[in-house]
Amino acid sequence: MTMPDLCLGIESSCDDTAAAVVASDRRILSSVIYDQALLHAAYGGVVPEIAARAHAERVDLCVAEALRQAGVGLAGLDLIAVTAGPGLIGGVLAGVMCAKGLSAATGVPLLGVNHLAGHALTPRLTDGIDYPYLLLLVSGGHCQFLAVRGPQDFRRLGGTIDDAPGEAFDKTARLLGLGYPGGPEVERAAAGGDPARFAFPRPLLDRPGCDLSFSGLKTAVRRAVDKLVAAQGGVTRQDRADLCAGFQAATADVLAEKTRRALAAFGTAAPVLAVAGGVAANRTIAGALRAVAAAAGARFVTPPLALCTDNAAMIAWAGIEQAAAGETSDMGLAARPRWPLDAGAAPQLGSGRKGAKA
Amino acid sequence: MKILALDTAGPHCSVAVTEWREVLTSLTERMDRGQAERLVPMAQTALELAGVGWRDLDAIAVGVGPGNFTGIRIAVAAARGLALALDIRAIGVSTFDALALDCIGPVLVSLDARRGRYYLRGYGEADLSPRIADPHELRALPLPPGTVVLGHHAARIAADLELTAGPETSTPDPEAFAFAAHLIEGGEAPAPLYLRAADAALPSEPPPPILDDA
Repeated sequence: MTMPDLCLGIESSCDDTAAAVVASDRRILSSVIYDQALLHAAYGGVVPEIAARAHAERVDLCVAEALRQAGVGLAGLDLIAVTAGPGLIGGVLAGVMCAKGLSAATGVPLLGVNHLAGHALTPRLTDGIDYPYLLLLVSGGHCQFLAVRGPQDFRRLGGTIDDAPGEAFDKTARLLGLGYPGGPEVERAAAGGDPARFAFPRPLLDRPGCDLSFSGLKTAVRRAVDKLVAAQGGVTRQDRADLCAGFQAATADVLAEKTRRALAAFGTAAPVLAVAGGVAANRTIAGALRAVAAAAGARFVTPPLALCTDNAAMIAWAGIEQAAAGETSDMGLAARPRWPLDAGAAPQLGSGRKGAKA
Repeated sequence: MKILALDTAGPHCSVAVTEWREVLTSLTERMDRGQAERLVPMAQTALELAGVGWRDLDAIAVGVGPGNFTGIRIAVAAARGLALALDIRAIGVSTFDALALDCIGPVLVSLDARRGRYYLRGYGEADLSPRIADPHELRALPLPPGTVVLGHHAARIAADLELTAGPETSTPDPEAFAFAAHLIEGGEAPAPLYLRAADAALPSEPPPPILDDA
């Protein structure tokens, strides 16, 4: 297939229902996101069944709105790209089935796209950078370093062996009675805090390589909170600020040092370091990563937040690039809860009977 | 009026193409999983066999359950996508409506809600909104004598409540969804009929008190 001109993207793998129309010259004609934060707020995290219920009744409405805003009819499209995994399977299925309905009825070709490829290729959509580049994907569900060498050519240099940093932010927020999503809440609380008061661990810094771990840090925050509660029956606002600042500093330190190592392992002269995922919006973390890139002589690229967090423009763009590279899907396209980008890498997460998660 | 009917609310994948009360094609495959992969290819086959094009369709009828949550969403999401693309109505039809089609007089339809419970809906003088009930709640329902019980455990329920037992099938033929769709008015998009709240636990431990909060 030659490069499709206009692509509809659909994304529903976590707690955002999204649809977008993107052109092959990198213009985003529309990018609509129906977020579900209010539905999940009381639970302090994404509840898969609640997410799936919302996606199933919104994804078509979201598509209609994206087409309307773009001023494009379905017949004017050259491709329909949909996230086919990895992610919460109920939501992925809603997107995939809606996309199949749209494609079957109109004859517009369908392409299933890996959600992570969407994030990984976003710097090409937003900044037009060339292959290869180093990507740090750091979000509520993912944390990995990828050498991006082509639209379907990803090599994982390292990743989390347990939780994603975004999960740790949510957990910290929950432990301290802050709101959801936890990232912005913890950052706000940390603003008035002393990052040095609590000595939180920097997991895996003592080991070589680019793998990361955040579950121990989470536990350390819990222990510190429990200790304060035992001693004084609760926490003060200052305690809370100091805990948030300490946790945020530890997360930034770990990400910065592992990024330094990943840049060294990537080994290209004058490399580009791109960061995607919602955690990149944290100013302390972004500042630490920018400093690491500068020290290594690397160009630092962060897409605007709306294209860093989950969205459908990135899926449309990945669809455009991958279709141009010859990828196709048919109506038998399956939704995949687990789908690692780098099939050759040793599984790090969920390496049981069902294979690697991401 | 040509309708494509889709149903994946149980361990099956079913499609039918109908024109008024005539069945042009009806296809059902038994499967515990894999409906998402099979549904659209089966619909394409059914339309080809019927000699009907996508653009010839006047409506999509879709089974909204109750039943397997994931299964219901598969067909509902596909139906909504098709309806958007074809600019026609997608009509949600419950398994109750499809099973009770053409029944006259008081009817109670029962479906397996697992864990010993029933999904129920009543028609005629046995009028009852869709609900989930345990055997105790079922016994307490005001059902007129002569009510015919259809579906899951129909014979057992009929014996227990001194009612009349009907067929025990819980899986309507796909064309029944299309036929029942003719009777449904209103333009709202189809939505799954869950009858059960989402399984979600609130955080078990409350956050610590903030000592200097006013």
